[in-house]
Amino acid sequence: MKIEYYLPETILSNDDLFLQFEGFESAKVELKLGIMERHIASDNETALDMAYIASLKVLEGYDKNKIGFILFCTQSPDYYLPTTACILQNMLSLPSNIGALDYNLGCSGFVYGLSLAKALISSKICEEVLLVTSETYSKHIHPSDRANRSIFGDGATATILSSTDINKIFNFELGTDGRGKDNLIVKNGAFRNKIQTELLHEKDENGIFVSNNHLYMNGPEIFNFTIENIPNVVKTTLEKNNLSLDTIDYIIFHQANKYMLEYLRKKIKIPESKFYNNILTTGNTVSSTIPIAIKECLNNYTINKGDKVLLAGFGVGYSWAATVIEI
Amino acid sequence: MKRQEFYLKLADALEITSTTLSSNTILSDIDEYDSMGVMGIIAFVDENFDVKLNAKQIASITDLDSLINLIGLGKIEE
Repeated sequence: MKIEYYLPETILSNDDLFLQFEGFESAKVELKLGIMERHIASDNETALDMAYIASLKVLEGYDKNKIGFILFCTQSPDYYLPTTACILQNMLSLPSNIGALDYNLGCSGFVYGLSLAKALISSKICEEVLLVTSETYSKHIHPSDRANRSIFGDGATATILSSTDINKIFNFELGTDGRGKDNLIVKNGAFRNKIQTELLHEKDENGIFVSNNHLYMNGPEIFNFTIENIPNVVKTTLEKNNLSLDTIDYIIFHQANKYMLEYLRKKIKIPESKFYNNILTTGNTVSSTIPIAIKECLNNYTINKGDKVLLAGFGVGYSWAATVIEI
Repeated sequence: MKRQEFYLKLADALEITSTTLSSNTILSDIDEYDSMGVMGIIAFVDENFDVKLNAKQIASITDLDSLINLIGLGKIEE
């Protein structure tokens, strides 16, 4: 599994946010959320632009003609249509006899992509897949929404998956609960609700910032969803693969925020030494947090050849996906 | 859990140093209570009482007696 990632050049630090928001507690954000800075796409930089750079990096020195499919995960596409993956095919000068599609998922997106890539390769629809995750959530967030601006960062990843790789991707546990749709949503701008020209931005009954043209996240409900579901998702994933926590070498969850991850770790009784918790310089990059974490862990030898690594992504939808991979 | 232990553990969970907690303490008056404090309350109640508080319940909390009512009076010993 060959992974590369790209983060935009512009950095938004806690100190920058302190200058914009009265009472912003930089030290507390770093301590509790585990975030010191995040990368933000410039006004004219899109998910496609970032995906292109990440893809070029992963394809460097690689025979592009082997790629038979592009899977592109994004919730901030360049256009309603055409599909971002089609444009990326042309930008990368990939052959035209390949499949390409976008899929709209957030924090579960990378693990979902692994399941789709495994299915495509196992069924011999193609031999190799370019799996891309790319988000500019910053463009969904209202400038006055300091909570979400503290949490989310932009970024893109590109992963090449071959038949050798998919033999090392074990069974999946996928899940969906659309009852959570209102808790992480951009309500306006598609076809259900038009953009409001007289912009309403206020606080909801829970004191959470609301602008229906922008990203809304009900943090307490997302936290509840996570602590209610993810321990069981881990248990079921292990059962489906006839594995136990003891036989897993390392665990990488979607990097939502440090506090939530630490609480989950303790609740599931995962040893600290086996658990990734680091978004200090990236923030929550949505579908890219897991591949960025894998890449970092490979680079610093936290995970090594032969290790079994449990991956779990969860969030907007609600949607979740987990599996075990062997490095 | 005894009431005094409840206050101590809650103060610890929210990393409160500015106030001594009691039944009359108004949660929103505590300096350290913010959006990250909300996560702290959810985690504290889940961990110690296996009770899930939703966002509306959290928003309805006034003093600590109202939090205890949400958790269930029987779970706190006098």
